[in-house]
Amino acid sequence: MAEIREDLSAAHARAWLRLAAPGAWLTGAEKTAIAAEARAALNCPACAQRKAALSPEQPIPAHIGPSDLDAAWVDVIHRIRTDADRLTPAWFARVVPSVLSVERYVETVGVIAEVTAVDSFMTAMGMPLWPLPEPLTGALTGIRPKAAKLAGAWVPTVAPEDVSADDPEPVQAMYRNRSAANIHRALSLLPEAVNGFFDLDDAMYLPDALLRKFEEEPRAITHAQIELLAARVSALNRCLY
Amino acid sequence: MPHARLLLDFAEACSAVSADLSDRREAVRSTLGEAALVDAAATIAIFQAVVKIADATGIPLEDAKAEISAEFRADLGLDAFVAE
Repeated sequence: MAEIREDLSAAHARAWLRLAAPGAWLTGAEKTAIAAEARAALNCPACAQRKAALSPEQPIPAHIGPSDLDAAWVDVIHRIRTDADRLTPAWFARVVPSVLSVERYVETVGVIAEVTAVDSFMTAMGMPLWPLPEPLTGALTGIRPKAAKLAGAWVPTVAPEDVSADDPEPVQAMYRNRSAANIHRALSLLPEAVNGFFDLDDAMYLPDALLRKFEEEPRAITHAQIELLAARVSALNRCLY
Repeated sequence: MPHARLLLDFAEACSAVSADLSDRREAVRSTLGEAALVDAAATIAIFQAVVKIADATGIPLEDAKAEISAEFRADLGLDAFVAE
């Protein structure tokens, strides 16, 4: 069995606790169902057919997935998991708000991202995937930053300068020790999603404070090797950002 | 850069570009060691997720990054990745 850094295993365990727990706009049951669909998408014949098609708008059969989520929501999950580079503003406008409210959409993206990160790591290491957790029940937090607004992305985001002292702690924590880069803002309509994903990112990539600290090499591969891998994966995924 | 090809081969195998993931993983492990394999796998995996956040939320490239990367984006054909 491979030896995994303790901080990395701990970050994965925290991600699984977040996955099981009720979120801001999604229940624990919905979040674990999204995770199950995100996994199933990798072996879904309809997704394979769409990925191979010249246009992602070509009609495809129904997705094969394990959950009882609404079919249109399942399509959103499968498409983000398997064909994200061909998402367009027109597709987004068809999905939000008719399939999902923008808050539930952003939370769905956050769940897919965390499951993708943890599952991709286990696959890369040749280790079995973590079993999905049993969902927890409880009240939704319903935290929506009051400063969220449309500012270049498809979804409303919060600029760091718009966070105020009377915002709840999850909002204030979003940009603590993090730059104002757009990737940090992307999920900021859902502060818990930002804080959760970048907790994982700090352990799997590098904490923001170490990104340009080239005199320190905190990993077993160098900054340059890390950035080479990051750039290659982004290019393989055809992601401009 | 030391071991660039080895690491790129591993990243490509992880992204299902090549089917020999097991061989590529073992090549990284035997050449660079277990800790390096873990850190390479973690980097590859988190960026498989980062791109989904970027693509699904439609965040733009920051102006400063767009400016300094204009030349090599054009050289490498990366501008074709913009969602329209």
